[in-house]
Amino acid sequence: MKLFSLKNFSALILLILASCGQQDEAPSGLQVDIDYYQLDNGLRVVLAPENSVPTITVAVYYNVGFRIEPQERTGFAHLFEHLMFEGTPNMPEGEFAKFINGSGGAYNGSTRFDFTNYYEVLPTHQLEPLLWVEADRMKEINFLDETLENQKGVVSNEVKVNVLNRPYGGFPWLDLPQVANTNWYNAHNFYGDLEDLEAATLDDVRSFFYTYYRPNNAVLVVAGDFDVDEAKGWIEKYFAAIPMGDPIPEVDISEPRQEAEKFATKEDPFAPQPALAFGYQMPDRGTPEYYAMGLLDLILLQGEDSRLYQKLVKEEGISSSVFGGINMLGNMYNYSGPMLWAAGLIHSPEHSAEDIMAAVDEVIEDVKVNGVTQGEVDRALRKLRSGLYDTIGSTTRIGLVDLLASFVLFDDDPSRINNLEAEFDQVTPELIKSTAVEYLRATNRTVLRRVPASSGEGE
Amino acid sequence: MKNFRKILILLTFGLFAHSVLAQELPPLPGKPKPFELAAPTTIQLENGLEVTFVDFGIVPKVTISIVVEVGNKNEGADTWLSDLTAELMKEGTTSRSALDLVVEAADMGGGVNIGVGLDQSSVSMDVLSDYGDEAIALMADILRNPAFPETEIPRIKQNFLRNLSVARTQSRSIASEAFLGLLYGEDHPYGNILPDDGQLEGYNLDQIKAFYGANFGAARTHIYVVGQFDQKALEVAIREAFGDWNAGAAPLDLPPNPQRLLRVKLIDRPGSEQSTIYLGLPVMNISDPDYVSFQVMHTLLGGSSSSRIVQNIREEKGYTYSPRASITRRKGTAYWTLVADVTTSVTGPALHEIFYEISNLQENVPGTPEVDRIQNYLAGIFVLQNGSRGGIIGQLAALDLQGLDASYLNTFVSRVLAVEDWEISALAGSQLPLDQMTLVVVGDLSMIEKQIRALPELEGAEFVE
Repeated sequence: MKLFSLKNFSALILLILASCGQQDEAPSGLQVDIDYYQLDNGLRVVLAPENSVPTITVAVYYNVGFRIEPQERTGFAHLFEHLMFEGTPNMPEGEFAKFINGSGGAYNGSTRFDFTNYYEVLPTHQLEPLLWVEADRMKEINFLDETLENQKGVVSNEVKVNVLNRPYGGFPWLDLPQVANTNWYNAHNFYGDLEDLEAATLDDVRSFFYTYYRPNNAVLVVAGDFDVDEAKGWIEKYFAAIPMGDPIPEVDISEPRQEAEKFATKEDPFAPQPALAFGYQMPDRGTPEYYAMGLLDLILLQGEDSRLYQKLVKEEGISSSVFGGINMLGNMYNYSGPMLWAAGLIHSPEHSAEDIMAAVDEVIEDVKVNGVTQGEVDRALRKLRSGLYDTIGSTTRIGLVDLLASFVLFDDDPSRINNLEAEFDQVTPELIKSTAVEYLRATNRTVLRRVPASSGEGE
Repeated sequence: MKNFRKILILLTFGLFAHSVLAQELPPLPGKPKPFELAAPTTIQLENGLEVTFVDFGIVPKVTISIVVEVGNKNEGADTWLSDLTAELMKEGTTSRSALDLVVEAADMGGGVNIGVGLDQSSVSMDVLSDYGDEAIALMADILRNPAFPETEIPRIKQNFLRNLSVARTQSRSIASEAFLGLLYGEDHPYGNILPDDGQLEGYNLDQIKAFYGANFGAARTHIYVVGQFDQKALEVAIREAFGDWNAGAAPLDLPPNPQRLLRVKLIDRPGSEQSTIYLGLPVMNISDPDYVSFQVMHTLLGGSSSSRIVQNIREEKGYTYSPRASITRRKGTAYWTLVADVTTSVTGPALHEIFYEISNLQENVPGTPEVDRIQNYLAGIFVLQNGSRGGIIGQLAALDLQGLDASYLNTFVSRVLAVEDWEISALAGSQLPLDQMTLVVVGDLSMIEKQIRALPELEGAEFVE
């Protein structure tokens, strides 16, 4: 409700003013020190030493997200993520949280389009036990009925609190892909239908674990204050003996070129005002057009200087904000497959969807016909650089390990992190214009509305 | 260093504790490394404005936040007049249009954020380090020379009204509005957090200008600069931009009179698949000598993922996804809450488990391994959760509001580690008496009202409408 609420400046003391001793040498561009190698069992390892704060961040990314979860088991990848915290033959249920918290650290996990990740941040001297803990649950977890049933309860509560029991739940991040895409892998309910979650069995759990949670389908990232040789020794000691799995089954996740604009409307039992979202299918990841879309996103949608904000919020007064971007469950780097560039807003009923889309088209058509100025490109690059510095420079290093893991899983090249700025620097106003012409076609677009149930406008 | 030796030793205990069950044990940790607090430096201008600099981070970014002790508490009965004033400040200055402001900010790699809280408001920018001085000049213009264009007021009101209508359909915001109204009373700004539609529609430009004139000035203002920057250059820029600003009024103290009474308010939300539980009461404030011990107790009870309430109603029972206890501070006061969205059918049982965990902690002193674990967690998090320049600013601004300085941070870890096991139970007893709690539940009353009224812990409670 409020932009940057000071009301939250409370509770725990969550910080230390760590001296970093590196202020004198401001980097002139990103340069992350990287050591990348692979164990015999296929586990890929990235080490990124950086000693500004005496902590380490460890992340294991498994190359399976909700996109390719089993059909008739929607939401299973995420349910499985929960089970990875519920105990192993060596660490009974509850011990994981106690170990991490008791070591003075924090942990989390998340399920996204094309990966499921697990990460911890701990004081630097806890690296060896932490590596043991991650290896331990890669080796095997407990397969217990009671645990599975209990986590079904937790997950269905998660779906309720985030989607079913709130206004605009799942709008548009969960709904839009289901309408925009045609391939089941891209178009199913990623959070899961409650019946599907309820139907999951221990056999499903075992099969998923031994298919996807093997070292040959994972990357381990260690970033922060540690000795590289020592870390390599521990990684060998704890991970190398984990048996590799069979090759991962290949699935076709491609989408055909979209040739006609799509529309859908959904009723919302709680929403007091209508909402509207639109999404365009993205160019393939890593192409010149993809980088151009990255800058178009900054020019059109990110920040109050953006063209859509100026048009929809300031000029037309349609909404108080426009939100969105490339990959609404992450960023433009941490996915691999079909993706939408999407935007959404909540508006008053006196603005019709047609009026709103006419205003959107005015902005889009202007770019397609008149292009953008070099000044806008330069400003977008500055916004991009500023954001990248924060992602990579955060002392939790969570953004850093996310980029490194993504560039390993999807590009087999973590050093891409050091070339990103250069990739964007190549983008010209001409490329932005031609990319807009091809990808910001109305026929490449899906428009989704969310209307109050009482309005009787839904389908 | 000494502190961490204790962590190391305690952790060793923790590992042996589960060795009976484990087949293989994790290896022991290595030797802890020391860490240092970067010392903030603070200067004061002649008009009373204070400036704090903190060198921080490994990338060429700087966050500058101008925090003014003005907010909803200064509104009297005009709820959200400060929000409207702040929003209108974004609409341009006497020399810059609204578009100029955001474009100039974007050219520095950032945006202008204006936020309003109950006690403090802020204008902030997060920019590439090269532009720190320009950012200061821009924000000074916003704060000192707002144009307050009347033409923009209707649009902003429409946005606020739309956001208000959404807030009123969200279970948690319905619950928090009711909870705070009971706790602080609806005649205090801390207890009256949302305006009526008609009230909001009625605010005019004269009220906005009067609010601005009465409340903004150097004496209430503290600028925080955190990141990589040239301190000398920024000090010059700040003196130039703010040196001749009027001191204005001194900060306002508006101590509330929060109530500790056993009260229950049930709010019907037909069709709700979950019930939102908001349970809590006023507690000691940060200036209390036992506050850190209270924090340890709170973290053990419900303030962390390995805490008792979370383990019970999430991990063991599966009643909820997101139960969490919090301590929220206002100037000179604080309150504790346990908030959870639980499956409708188990609303009563979930409340029963929460009450059980509180009273169990009051009656039985927790074991040393558990207390050690929570102490290690708080000490470690203190080192680890240093994620952002904004976080540091938030922390320092919150301490300044309470009249505390950064020395509070220097002693925090040692005070956490000094907490004794018995203190935990004693504080649970004195700070969280079950017969003095305020409980708000938002849910489908046709499904949950009977369950709640049958709870023995609520015997004698006043059920308020």
